Amino acid sequence: MIKKKTGVLLSLMLLCSIGAQAQLVTSMRINEVLVINEDNFVDDYGKRNGWIELYNPSAGTVNIGGCFLTDDKDNPKKYPIPKGDVLTRIKPRQHALFWADGVASHGTFHLNFTLDPDKENYIALYDADGRTLVDEITIPAGQQTDISYGRRIDGQDEWGYLEKVTPSTNNLTLDTNEKMDNFKQNDAIGIGMTLTAMAVVFLGLILLFLCFKGVGKAAISASKRRAEKASGETSGKSGGDVSGEILAAISMALYELDEDVHDIENTVLTIQKVKRNYSPWSSKIYGLRETPRK
Amino acid sequence: MQESFLSFLGENLQLFLTYTGVYNVTPGHLIMIAVGLLFIFLAIRYEFEPMLLIPIGFGILIGNIPFKDAGLQIGIYEENSVLNILYQGVTQGWYPPLIFLGIGAMTDFSALISNPKLMLIGAAAQFGIFGAYIIALQMGFEPNQAGAIGIIGGADGPTAIFLSSKLAPNLMGAIAVSAYSYMALVPIIQPPFMRLLTTKKERVIRMKPPRVVSSTEKIIFPIIGLLLTCFLVPTGLPLLGMLFFGNLLKESGVTRRLAETARGPLIDTITILLGITVGASTQATQFITLNSVKIFGLGALSFVIATCAGILFVKFFNLFLKEGNKINPLIGNAGVSAVPDSARISQTVGLEYAPTNYLLMHAMGPNVAGVIGSAVAAGILLGFLG
Repeated sequence: MIKKKTGVLLSLMLLCSIGAQAQLVTSMRINEVLVINEDNFVDDYGKRNGWIELYNPSAGTVNIGGCFLTDDKDNPKKYPIPKGDVLTRIKPRQHALFWADGVASHGTFHLNFTLDPDKENYIALYDADGRTLVDEITIPAGQQTDISYGRRIDGQDEWGYLEKVTPSTNNLTLDTNEKMDNFKQNDAIGIGMTLTAMAVVFLGLILLFLCFKGVGKAAISASKRRAEKASGETSGKSGGDVSGEILAAISMALYELDEDVHDIENTVLTIQKVKRNYSPWSSKIYGLRETPRK
Repeated sequence: MQESFLSFLGENLQLFLTYTGVYNVTPGHLIMIAVGLLFIFLAIRYEFEPMLLIPIGFGILIGNIPFKDAGLQIGIYEENSVLNILYQGVTQGWYPPLIFLGIGAMTDFSALISNPKLMLIGAAAQFGIFGAYIIALQMGFEPNQAGAIGIIGGADGPTAIFLSSKLAPNLMGAIAVSAYSYMALVPIIQPPFMRLLTTKKERVIRMKPPRVVSSTEKIIFPIIGLLLTCFLVPTGLPLLGMLFFGNLLKESGVTRRLAETARGPLIDTITILLGITVGASTQATQFITLNSVKIFGLGALSFVIATCAGILFVKFFNLFLKEGNKINPLIGNAGVSAVPDSARISQTVGLEYAPTNYLLMHAMGPNVAGVIGSAVAAGILLGFLG
């Protein structure tokens, strides 16, 4: 029995740990790539090179230290992202930018390969084991100068040429609050929102109502069956001549007695027993010297 | 030597004077201090929601002590000040779900389970939220602001704070104070409308006593409640998840200690922190604006609409119910989720017309349904406007 319980517990822990892993490195995405950088973003050394942006779409911080970036399908471990760099901890919905300058000695975020402007570029991100593919993309040949190729919306599947080059930030930025504008334009009075929302509120509570109507019926019939079984009766009578009011009065009296509701009343003297919990700190036994035994 | 020492002393005293509250006070501070004192008075003298009004009222006093803005990190809006750190629970929205955990652990849903049709009254009362939303839009508020203001009509302080922190953080202080103030004033706001919208005959309707609910049903309720409501409105998860979780702790019967902590020390601690920081957030410089006045007006209106919608819905519902199964419309007001105050009002007003007609248990049904309904409504508003 104990072995069985341990097995179930371990299985649950294993399932949980698999779920946790899914929230981590495997959720990272290659998000935006600039192959030809002539008049765009410069690195810390004042140089312009192609770059690759990674994005963490998850709700937790992801450490990509120990993972691999590569441009070679046959060599998944081409660039090991150094471990122990605080900057490789990517916060939720944040980005990391890697320079494809071929000079890894320039730091953690400088790759040991470059992007070729004359042909298509394969880029992949591998997990720390060097075997689990996290994400990959093939950037088509014929890239335009200073125009990046990326996901239209961060982390989502659709790729294309982006209107704005957005290193280390969202690929899609909004000039207006589309949602609000939509509401102002199409539902200026608020009737649409009211009807929709009230319909959902009612739907939710109607579902609960129907569900508990069924549960209630099942519970009543089950209790009847139990009562019949207990009394040995076969008829469907629900015994008891006591009315609801009497039961309520008895319950109220018991409640008041239990809760000492009427302990303090005007003009009525009541005595409440004061009970103090035993504590060795206040015990006289420990405070007095014991008489020595002969 | 003596002269330079005296002038040094004089300069220092003068500098010190600029740091005092007396030097920095404005009429706004005095108005807010008067409001804080009024809250404390109402709480102590008339016992209007003292658990809320005392912390909020005292918080208003704390927040409106004038001081020189010299980066001393004392104000609630100054980053990393003690009050600012405590205020994070409000701005980041994690106090309200913890309050809901406690509410779940102290709420008995038996009345609702025994007569599930009362849930619909809790849904109808949410018209208060959307009525206020429509009016706020007409008054020129943005849709997200209107949504945050409308939620005052849910009569649920934590939900109002949670939603306004997400949709309109700059209006949160006014919305929170308005929501809690009107919750405290429910005994004054609701009865006139309850009398206005019901006939004498309706007020004496006797409802069937609620049946005994088995523990299995009580255990099933939070599980099914969570799955049904959150699959429909996942944005309500922080509030509904904690509400139903707290209730399962209570009803499971095997986590008594956890349930007692949730409904005792935990909710008390969070209530203290929430009340004091919400009160302190009403710093006159940030709080006294025309928008705050409008929000107070809309808050009152939303409570009235919610009360009327609940009562009228019961009257409408009664048209379809057989004689003997009819619902007393005086419990319609309890659809707003001010638990258990609005249910108590149903009881008090009901007893005025029929001294042996106890409506409290019946009114608790729509009352707790109102908690669920307002959390669902908040989830919808967050989904649409967030």
